[in-house]
Amino acid sequence: MAETRLIQGNEACALGAIAAGCRFFGGYPITPSSGIAEQMVRLLPGVGGVFIQMEDEIASLAAVIGASLGGSKAMTATSGPGFSLMQEHIGFAAMAEVPCVIVNVMRGGPSTGLPTSPSQGDVMQARWGTHGDHPAVVLAPSSVGEVHELTVRAFNLAERFRTPVILTYDEVVGHTRESVILPDRVDVVDRPRPDEDPGSFLPKRVTPDGVPPMAAFGDGYRFHVTGLAHDERGFPTQDNAVAGALLTRLHNKIDDHLDEVADVEEYMLDDADVVLFAYGIVGRSAHEAVRRARDRGVRAGLFRPRTLWPFPSGRLAEVTAGVDRVIVAEMNLGQMISEVAGAAAATTEVVGHLRADGKPITPSELLETVLAQGGDRP
Amino acid sequence: MSRSDIRIAGTGGQGVITAGRILAEAAIRCGHQATHSQVYGPQSRGGASRSDVVISTGDIGFPLTDRLDLLIALSGEAYLRYLADLADDGRLIVDTGCVPGDGGDPENYPIVDTAREVSGGLLATGVVALGVLRAATGIVEAEALRETVAAKVPPRHRRMNLEALDAGMSLVGVNAL
Repeated sequence: MAETRLIQGNEACALGAIAAGCRFFGGYPITPSSGIAEQMVRLLPGVGGVFIQMEDEIASLAAVIGASLGGSKAMTATSGPGFSLMQEHIGFAAMAEVPCVIVNVMRGGPSTGLPTSPSQGDVMQARWGTHGDHPAVVLAPSSVGEVHELTVRAFNLAERFRTPVILTYDEVVGHTRESVILPDRVDVVDRPRPDEDPGSFLPKRVTPDGVPPMAAFGDGYRFHVTGLAHDERGFPTQDNAVAGALLTRLHNKIDDHLDEVADVEEYMLDDADVVLFAYGIVGRSAHEAVRRARDRGVRAGLFRPRTLWPFPSGRLAEVTAGVDRVIVAEMNLGQMISEVAGAAAATTEVVGHLRADGKPITPSELLETVLAQGGDRP
Repeated sequence: MSRSDIRIAGTGGQGVITAGRILAEAAIRCGHQATHSQVYGPQSRGGASRSDVVISTGDIGFPLTDRLDLLIALSGEAYLRYLADLADDGRLIVDTGCVPGDGGDPENYPIVDTAREVSGGLLATGVVALGVLRAATGIVEAEALRETVAAKVPPRHRRMNLEALDAGMSLVGVNAL
């Protein structure tokens, strides 16, 4: 049996990446994400992988995209300021359909902000930071063990759908050491590969499930890669019908498989009058607050998306139907709360427990809010 | 499920961070769940330093300390700064050198002086504190602490640190438990 280890979230991320088959890391150090790079530089040579420190975060993601086009599973890791710099290439990876994993360990912002403090201020940037109508897959682990699990999942979803996947958690999850037992083996998904003759290869061939098979440079297939709107041959086009169909397909390949992407922890929701919506580290405070509220006879429940984007609107609407109040707890001044308000029924009141001072939201303070909102309020 | 929120706080150079990691790992050796967190930032480069450890017989929800069940303060500054985080029924242990002059009578042991006697400096202070913690609370087994200290400190400092641990345990009377 695997042993219990005391490791940081950032170490778990690196170990998960290696287990998922990641063999390339390109990055630039920044607190509080540097522990991931520190582990990858140790682990990659031992498995025949490559680590490169680039000159900045723009180049880092460019190197990752190049490595992925060369057939490697590839990742980078950064924090707020570096994540801003990566936005351009996240869009490129979405358009060119290059699987890759971008880890953003959130710290206080904007700008250089609070480098060593936790925050959840980048969750909208993770969705909309790069320009244009792009799909986004964003995962939000809440513990060291979950960082390992969702890092593997991030690679699998990236490969499955040929898309960049963002894994985001805060400084507390990244730095805190927790006792965990990591699995001996994990299920690994590899990108679809072409099996046709190289002469008839279309790099962006439309397939029934919307994900074109992907050749690697050096496989013998010739192909062109561009961020411009392109046709099935991979070459730029100004044909509006083709450009529109491409954009629709980029969305549909995710939206048509939401059951594979969606991932929510639900706790004590069956009879809940008041529902806490929380993600990442705050999800753990909320879990504890719900437990304590139940001890006091308040029917509280927790909805914790582990996949933040695509946003689980449908499921949230179902479980909050008839619920009096939803409390959205997040370490920012109100980001996911607008999504929650959009999904909840008109009769459900949505209130925020928001904090953006660099301190994590504790179970005690959340319990106070639950008791104030969830008791027999007039 | 029983959960203990513990903070060891002092100044940079007392080995407070290492002591916290050792405590968490020793707890795992005893079959418990554990977390360890520290403050990153200016405090870790001289000035105040602290190590937070949560030990539980079951799964740990919130991984950071909430209200402290045990605070070990190894400097006057740490004592003043963190006293407010102590739970109403929390236990306070301080270094004898930082017992406040304004009255109050916290449980105290000459932890810093003992570290100086054993090591000639401050670095073993955290490990002496672990000895005190073990003898005063029984929260981890002495053998698990010894094994973890031996595994976590550099080989050339191993004997000295084990002496520091024993010296810390000896500071607490046998009736303290």
